[in-house]
Amino acid sequence: MKSNLIKAACIAGLSTALTATAGPSFAQQAGREIVLGAIVPSSGPFAEWGRANTVTLQMLERQINGSGGVNGAKLRIEILDDATKPAQATNNLRKLAGDDKVLAVAGPLTSSAAEVTFPVANEMKTVATSQASSKPGVAKLNRPWAFRNTIDEGVLGRTTVPYYKKTFNIKTVAIIYDAKDATAATVGSRIMPALMKENEIDVLNANDPLSFNTGDLDVSAQVTKMKALNPDGIVVSADYSQAVTVIREMKRQGILKPVVGSTQLISSAILKAAPEIPIIAPATFYATMKGDKPEKFVSELQPLLRKTSGLPAEIEPSMYDANIYEIVSIYIDAIKSAGVSGKAEDLEADRTKIRDYMAKLVGFPGLGGPIGFNDDGDAIKAFYILHGENGSWQSKVRGCSTAPGHPGC
Amino acid sequence: MMSTYYAGLLADVGILLLGALSVYVILATGQLSLGNAGFMGIGAYLTSYLTVTAGIPLTAALMMAAAASGLIGVVIGFPALRLKGIYLAMATLGFGEMVRSFFLNFEAMGGSGGFDGMRHVSLAYIWSWAAAILLLVAILERSQLWLEMRAVSDDETAAGLVGLNTTTIKVGAFGFAAAVAAVAGGLFAHHHVYIEPGNFSFERSIDFVLAVILGGSTVGAGALVGALLLVMLPEYLRFLAEWRFAVFGALLIAMLLVRRQGLLDRSLLGMFGSRRPA
Amino acid sequence: MFLQQFVNGVTLGAVYTLIALSFSLVMGILGVLNLAIAELFMIGGYFGFAVILAKLPLPVALLAGMAGAALVAAAIEKIGYQPLRNAPPVTPMLSTLGFSIILQNVATNLWGSDPLQLSEEVLSARFTFGPVSISAMQLVVLGATLVLVILLAFVVQRTSMGRALRAIAENRDVARLLGVSAGPVTLLAFMLSGALAGAAGVLISLHYAAITPYIGVEIGLKAIAVMVVGGTTRIWGALIAGPLIGIAEVMTTAYGGSQIRDFVVYGLMIAILLLRPQGLLGGPRSEQGPRV
Repeated sequence: MKSNLIKAACIAGLSTALTATAGPSFAQQAGREIVLGAIVPSSGPFAEWGRANTVTLQMLERQINGSGGVNGAKLRIEILDDATKPAQATNNLRKLAGDDKVLAVAGPLTSSAAEVTFPVANEMKTVATSQASSKPGVAKLNRPWAFRNTIDEGVLGRTTVPYYKKTFNIKTVAIIYDAKDATAATVGSRIMPALMKENEIDVLNANDPLSFNTGDLDVSAQVTKMKALNPDGIVVSADYSQAVTVIREMKRQGILKPVVGSTQLISSAILKAAPEIPIIAPATFYATMKGDKPEKFVSELQPLLRKTSGLPAEIEPSMYDANIYEIVSIYIDAIKSAGVSGKAEDLEADRTKIRDYMAKLVGFPGLGGPIGFNDDGDAIKAFYILHGENGSWQSKVRGCSTAPGHPGC
Repeated sequence: MMSTYYAGLLADVGILLLGALSVYVILATGQLSLGNAGFMGIGAYLTSYLTVTAGIPLTAALMMAAAASGLIGVVIGFPALRLKGIYLAMATLGFGEMVRSFFLNFEAMGGSGGFDGMRHVSLAYIWSWAAAILLLVAILERSQLWLEMRAVSDDETAAGLVGLNTTTIKVGAFGFAAAVAAVAGGLFAHHHVYIEPGNFSFERSIDFVLAVILGGSTVGAGALVGALLLVMLPEYLRFLAEWRFAVFGALLIAMLLVRRQGLLDRSLLGMFGSRRPA
Repeated sequence: MFLQQFVNGVTLGAVYTLIALSFSLVMGILGVLNLAIAELFMIGGYFGFAVILAKLPLPVALLAGMAGAALVAAAIEKIGYQPLRNAPPVTPMLSTLGFSIILQNVATNLWGSDPLQLSEEVLSARFTFGPVSISAMQLVVLGATLVLVILLAFVVQRTSMGRALRAIAENRDVARLLGVSAGPVTLLAFMLSGALAGAAGVLISLHYAAITPYIGVEIGLKAIAVMVVGGTTRIWGALIAGPLIGIAEVMTTAYGGSQIRDFVVYGLMIAILLLRPQGLLGGPRSEQGPRV
């Protein structure tokens, strides 16, 4: 009867009310605390990245507070886990921006999360900067509040491929990519073929794309096909945890040809897959980088990472750790130089100041060189073409993701 | 004035509620579907295409997508008649994976790169649909048709002997459920304003089933309780940091052990008022 | 190249067969879909890895994987199945889902989410027969699968334990009337199934020399497809269906394009289900599985 329905609605309403009011709330002490937010994947398939990011941010927080805070106020970085689920990332942003009233957010990490979270950043008028998303156009679609401290893979490829061609005398390649991963699929099916054409390298499997799915254990069929084509080199467009599967199969089947790919390959894990196969990929940071700033960063962060339970004993600071460190450093710089008060009543104005500061940013001293942002919201920063072989990465070429109308690196 | 954080969570609840209801309706006829995320995906892509590319207003687009998906549900429902139990569940799982694989390769709407351009809808709009369909199911539960569906679920042979058209009932359930799941998909697409094939995987189908079983598999309102649980619980378990999901898994098991019909059932519902004699 | 792809397909099929058997032991006898089997596979793999990294030999790794997975399976049976054995099968299925969530989380916390790799492959010697190249580890996988299947068939067909298993599968109540105690038999079924999954985990992760907490997910789904195609209650069904699906998958990738692979595999599964709902080697049509 109708009454049962009403009872059901009452139960539902009661549950909602209980859940809505029982959650914790965060009060910001106006003026005495500066709060920033971060969204990282601390559980799920990228748990290691999220946990390493967390350690990095905690280190930064301690460093800043140890040297007087931000304009005298204490810094607090509120870190939320999105469990590698895009829906959780959007709710995290709503919580950070709406409830916790943070001044800006670092994250989310993946492009899938960024695609749905950046629109929310615009809705809530809070800056969100991704530390790892490199799928082309994600920030561009979501101006003016979305930024990425990464470089578009297409831009990076334009320096990577010529170096690859020259070093190994490549005339033909075969391309294999992870069809389930949006960034990898875009790079493997659109960006790399175009770059190969630009560099007059023949893609032997142009009419027969080779792909696999994230999580596949067995790529023997695809690699056997590649072997039959006998290319000079192989393009592997996939996240390194999946690329490991391909490279190991290549080694098993005796294809010891040089590999080229996107930033997704950069890791220490991939160097262990088949040390005799050279791997060429671009990076904006790597753990053995030379220079005062990066060396100091690594020497401080590495012991902390290795001590953290749940992280492997030989872990090194990654590009994503460096990126998120830079993002929050930029935010702090913005707060210091753009007249951000940190008071509750100035929240909207403060956030706008941070946004404008970032849009105009030029020459911020990052870990790998100066950083700025282009009109698409992506970073203008130095990058390095790395050559990985026999267990270590060597930097070979330095490039810069310059954009018209903006100063270079 | 609700915080946008809770507004976002409630939007997810509304969408999950619709998905759960789609499983509930099919379950009521004794069939388990592990592939309703496929219908959700069809609804999401179709609705998005209609609003973004064809410029059709959202409500009309949702209805068209629901109708199309319902038709597909009916088409799926016929071969489903030949299968029972786990075999049917597996076939629906296969169907869901095939739909996801289809959209992964469907370059016209982005393939693995996803599709965007949708306009964001308000929480109120999402809940108008969710509440309306919940009401519809509640009314259905009190109808003669529901008794027939339960009869088919309890003993299909007997139901057929008594003169019920088991085919229409079972296939109809699939069709209706597919339409509801499609609405869930369309609303999902316009809440997140970006969709990709990975959103409509087996994991999503299992979420629907979880919501029904945990919330209460014998009453429609159970889907609502289940949806609330599945969305809110991971948020409240945040303090557990890296053990969040393990505890969630443990709670799931505990719930099933302690109260296997789910949180809400007829007697609990009836406790709040006079019960209609069964 | 065709022969090489055939070999690839058969190896993949062996993986599927082992896991499908693991599923069907519990499915055929208890009517329950144990969604934690994919994670038992994964845990077995990690145990095997740990043993190999400690420089112990392969047979020890295999035993460690099987024993570890069997123990976890026993825990799942006691906590997640026994109390729910009279509920409709969807309930214990979701309970096993809870266990799979827990196991994934534990593995991520213990070993990290990045792939764990072996620096030197185990048994990496390769043999070349004409156009076909196969590694020693691959041969071990194929051989071990065959041995395990034969052992299982022996246990089920020839031992009193196996008779008890088949009796319970046939009709639980009558079996109990005849003196077969359901409790220990169910536990046995779970543990055997766990041991099989664990063995598969060790073999597979050593063959591919890399493991993550999520390797079970995709493989689990395909293995369920294999079980269904083979017929859930017939052991030999899985032995045929495994290579069948493995070869279909590999051939689709090789000759049709990797994009449509999942489409073809699940399409094949659905087609077989529609044409012969009880599976290739399943019994009469009425044997279609309990109401869920």
